[in-house]
Amino acid sequence: MFKKLIKWARTKSPWVLHFNSGACNACDIEILAALMPHYDLERFGVQLKATPRHADVLLCSGPVTKQIAPRLKRIYEQMPEPKAVVAVGACACSGGAFRGCYNVLEGVDQIIPVAAYIPGCPIKPEALIDGVAKLLGKA
Amino acid sequence: MNALKVALYILVYPGFLFQSGFSTFLEWLDRKVYARMQNRRGPMYTGWAGILQPIADIVKLLSKEDIVPAAADQRAFAFMPILSLAAVFTAGLYLPVWHLRSFNSFEGDLIVVLYLLTIPSFALFLAGWFSVSPYSLLGATRVLTQLFAYEVPFFMAVLTPAVLAGSWQISKIAIFPWTVAGHWWVIPIELIAFVVAILALQAKLERVPFDIPEAETEVVGGPLTEYSGKKLAIFRLQKDILMYVGAALVACVFLGGFGALPQGGDQASIGVLGLVFGGYLGGVAGLLLGVVGLLLKTTLVVFLLSTLRAACARIRIDQIVRFSWRYLAPWSVAQFLIVLLLKAKGAV
Ligand code: SF4
Repeated sequence: MFKKLIKWARTKSPWVLHFNSGACNACDIEILAALMPHYDLERFGVQLKATPRHADVLLCSGPVTKQIAPRLKRIYEQMPEPKAVVAVGACACSGGAFRGCYNVLEGVDQIIPVAAYIPGCPIKPEALIDGVAKLLGKA
Repeated sequence: MNALKVALYILVYPGFLFQSGFSTFLEWLDRKVYARMQNRRGPMYTGWAGILQPIADIVKLLSKEDIVPAAADQRAFAFMPILSLAAVFTAGLYLPVWHLRSFNSFEGDLIVVLYLLTIPSFALFLAGWFSVSPYSLLGATRVLTQLFAYEVPFFMAVLTPAVLAGSWQISKIAIFPWTVAGHWWVIPIELIAFVVAILALQAKLERVPFDIPEAETEVVGGPLTEYSGKKLAIFRLQKDILMYVGAALVACVFLGGFGALPQGGDQASIGVLGLVFGGYLGGVAGLLLGVVGLLLKTTLVVFLLSTLRAACARIRIDQIVRFSWRYLAPWSVAQFLIVLLLKAKGAV
C-alpha cells in the first residue's frame, strides 16, 4: 500500500535537470521545445529544475567532452536517490557525429549509468516524451 | 472534552489537515491558471485534471534520499524547514475560517499573524546561510534584501483596515464591513491598500516578478539549492501553506472574510453571498455559506497572484527595492491618510 503510493508519486512527478555535456545545442533546443506550450511536458508532472538536488531525472545531451566529464559525474553524484539518466540524442548515446574526435568520449554511459537512450540527431520532442514515458513505465 | 476539541481544531480544521489539503489545491489551481495563460494545459494525468499533482510531488520528495552537505551546519540545516512550517501553520490557526472567532483569537492577533508570517523569510535566509554553498548564500542575502523592501508596505497596507475597523483582531476587521447594513462600501475604499498588499504578498511568496532570491538563471535554486528529499518537501508544503495563509489573511482583512452579522451573536451569516441572495442566513446554513464564501475569496486572491505571475517577468533586486520604497510605501501612506481623514470626519 505504502510502496504503491510511493511508486505512484514517483511516476507522476519526475523532475528533470537538463545538462548539456557538449552537445551542438540542437538537442537542447528540442528538449526545451518539449517543455514549451506545444508539447507541454508539465501535463505529465514533469518540471524543469535548476539544481541537481531537486531533480529525479538527468537529461544529458552531448557526447561528453573530456573537460566536462568530471563535472557530469559530480552533478550525477549530487542528485539524491532514486535517480535516472536519460541520454538524449545520438551523441549522448554513442558519440554520434563527434565519435572519434580527439576531445570527446563516446557517450554518456562511459561516465555514469544510463537508464534510457533516445537516438536522433537531433531528437524529436515526441521521442523525448516517449522515452521518458517508457522510463517511468519501467520504474 | 475541551482538550479534544482543541486537538481537533489543531489537527483537522482549521489546522493541519485542512491547511495542507486546501493549500495543495491552491497550488494546483495556481499551476493550472499559469499554464492556461501560457496556452498550455498544466498537470493532466494525476487525479482529475492533475488535481493530485502537488500531493504527488510532496510524497515523492518525502520518499527520496535526504542529502545534507558535509560543509553545512547539520542541525540548523535540518531545523529550518520545520521552523518555517510551524510558523505558517500557527499563523493559519489564527485565521477566522471556522467560527467568527477562531478558538484562540484575541485582541491583537493580527500583529501576531503578521510576525509569524515573517519567520519563513528568516528561516529561508538561515537555511541558505547554513547550507554554505555560494548560490544559497547569494540567494539568502537576496531574501533579506527583498524582505526589507516589501515588509513595511505589507504591514502598512494590512494595518489600514485595522485602523478603519478600530481593532487589531482579524475576525473583528473581517466583520466590520457587515456590522451595519449597507456598510460594505468600506471595502472599495481600501482598494489602494489591497493592491499594495497583493504585490507585497507576491514578493513575500517569492514568485515572479519578485522571485529574485531563487532566480534559477542567476543563483541556481537560491537558498534551497542544497535542499533535497524530506526537507525540500517540508519547504514546499510550507510555501503552499504560506500562500494559503497570506491569501486568506488578505481575504479576511480586505474582502470581508467570513462575512457576518453581529446581532446574531456568534452565529455566522453571510457577507457578499448574503447581499446577492438578499438576506442573512443564520445557523448552520449561514456557517457553511460563510466558509464557502471565505474559501472563494481566498481562491480569488490566489487567482490574482497567479495572473500577476503569468503576466510579468522577473525584475532585478535593486528594482524591487526602488519600486517598493518609491511606490508601494507612499501608496500605503496615502491610503492610511485617506482612512484617517474618513475617520476624523466621522464617516465610518
Ligand atoms: S545528437 Fe545531433 S543534434 Fe543532438 S547534440 Fe548531437 S550532433 Fe547535435
